[in-house]
Amino acid sequence: MAWKRYILAFCITAAIFGTAFYIAQRIDAGRIADIRATEESISIDILSSETQFELLGHLDCKIIAENPVLSDELNSLASRLSVAEENLGATNKEVINLKEQYSLLEIKDYLLLQQISEKCHSKPVFVLYFYSNAGDCKDCGRMGQELSYLREIYPGLRVYSFDYNLDLSAVKTLIALQKLQGPLPAFIVNNRAPVYGFKTLDEVEKLIPELKTLATSTAATSTKASN
Amino acid sequence: MDIGAFGIYICLFIGLYFEVFLLISFLERRPEVKSAATPKRYPSVSILVPSFNEEKTIAGTLQSLLDLTYPKDKLEIVVINDGSKDKTAEIAARFAAEHPQIKLLNKENGGKYTALNVGIEHSSAELIGCLDADSFVAKDALVEAVKQFETDSSIMAITPAMKVYQPRKVLELMQSVEYMFGIFYKKMFDNLSAINVLPGPFSIYKSDVFRKIGGFKHAHNTEDMEITFRMHAHGLRIANAHTALVYTTVPNTVAALVKQRTRWSQGFLQNSRDYSYMFFNPRFGNFGMLVLPFGLIAFCAGLYTASYALYRAVSFVLTRALDMFATHIPPHLSTPHLQWFYINTSMMTFLVITVLGMTFVAIFLGQHITKSRLSITSFVSYFVLFGLIAPLWLARAAWGALRAQESAWR
Repeated sequence: MAWKRYILAFCITAAIFGTAFYIAQRIDAGRIADIRATEESISIDILSSETQFELLGHLDCKIIAENPVLSDELNSLASRLSVAEENLGATNKEVINLKEQYSLLEIKDYLLLQQISEKCHSKPVFVLYFYSNAGDCKDCGRMGQELSYLREIYPGLRVYSFDYNLDLSAVKTLIALQKLQGPLPAFIVNNRAPVYGFKTLDEVEKLIPELKTLATSTAATSTKASN
Repeated sequence: MDIGAFGIYICLFIGLYFEVFLLISFLERRPEVKSAATPKRYPSVSILVPSFNEEKTIAGTLQSLLDLTYPKDKLEIVVINDGSKDKTAEIAARFAAEHPQIKLLNKENGGKYTALNVGIEHSSAELIGCLDADSFVAKDALVEAVKQFETDSSIMAITPAMKVYQPRKVLELMQSVEYMFGIFYKKMFDNLSAINVLPGPFSIYKSDVFRKIGGFKHAHNTEDMEITFRMHAHGLRIANAHTALVYTTVPNTVAALVKQRTRWSQGFLQNSRDYSYMFFNPRFGNFGMLVLPFGLIAFCAGLYTASYALYRAVSFVLTRALDMFATHIPPHLSTPHLQWFYINTSMMTFLVITVLGMTFVAIFLGQHITKSRLSITSFVSYFVLFGLIAPLWLARAAWGALRAQESAWR
């Protein structure tokens, strides 16, 4: 019996496991850095718009109409954050921190949107969506799928999603301001009264009649045409 | 991490450990290159060909034996017709009439092990070989086996390097890769003195083996596996002659393949139970400490991994279907994310890639050992199909073993 061979094989196998763990960790760290960089970039964009607003007392509505900037970036950030949450877990400190920053950016973008719509007399369609992933809302995932689907079909639709349980004072203030009291999932369309509980896609579409005013994406148009 | 995934990590660790162990063994002692040397002595050899309804292949099998580059006066071919109902006996009789080297024995059907035992009784040669009547030997296979016996007088039996005979259909191509992998690990088991089976196609025994430990047994329809276990139990050494090539026909339908592998797998489980005292027993060297336990663990790991994968796939499909039903979202294709960010780079992904990579290495080493090449189609067939089909025979074998029900030959 060559016991040394058994031990050597064990050490090499353990080393391979260790290496795989290390590489996976490094890549996850790269993902976190990527999300953080995107958040910083969005933060600068928002700050720039706000500063411009304060300096001039108004925004160049033409430019805003041509470049509905932040929506796409926030959407991309949301999907990245979702991947990070899946890989690292919802309780990971880094993930929570990034989610908090993301929520703040969403709120700032939401506020900026209000100001822009007021000044430029535009009629944006937006949804404030509140969910929980603490295991107490089994329909939140499905509701999220519906809103993601609508966002794919109507690129002009802005969906701001918030983790109801996030320990962030800005989110708590938003919840208080919107007088959110009922069961989750809950969503608010264009500052109207909150809608509580799960709704099917058809019901959601009825609750957002403004969707008809939004242009659909090319893919969605062709899908609809084929139906 | 869920418990199911934790189990997969354990399976990956064990699989990787085994592959690493074999690769270390390869680096420690590499297979010798085939030489043109001839044996110092040509011992008398009896090749037993147990046959039951083999009319399609027996002529080719006998012809390949007649073509062996071995002195004719030292080689006897004994066909044992085990009560065939087709033209096997007729074809064998014709060969026997034309070639005095061939002897035909007819008996009532009693199973392969009884045919082999009848052959052993009628043989007085120094070496006794077995060749299934659906296999064909390379011309120098016997010479190479005899040369291997000469390397160490303690070797009591030899296994050949087995390849698939003329693989054409997808399942045959898949098995050609599997057999190539087998060539590598059989040679490595030889390095560890822990060969786990003396297969039906062209295993050669010193006749003393049967005098010492007796003939073949029914052994749950895996007499070749049982005699290997018994030889290890008696401390009889088995070696591998990687230069002795034998080609065997393999099942080319899923049903036939599953039936054959169920017999092998169930035989392994039942023989393992019969020889359970050898497990983790250092007295039986690497065979007891590594090969037997790993075989059993690999069986369980295969079943577990397949069950977990099936569970995940079914859960995924069901969840998606229920979501669609509940939400009324029409079926649609979301734009796939192509950036690096969205690529699955979990620890499990890297480990699976490593295990597959090492399997590739083992197959390439098998090719290197036998100086042969497999086609890309064979590799694709293997990596796509094997994982889908193997769980079928593992599950059937486990069920059969639990019910203590004997598996069928064909």
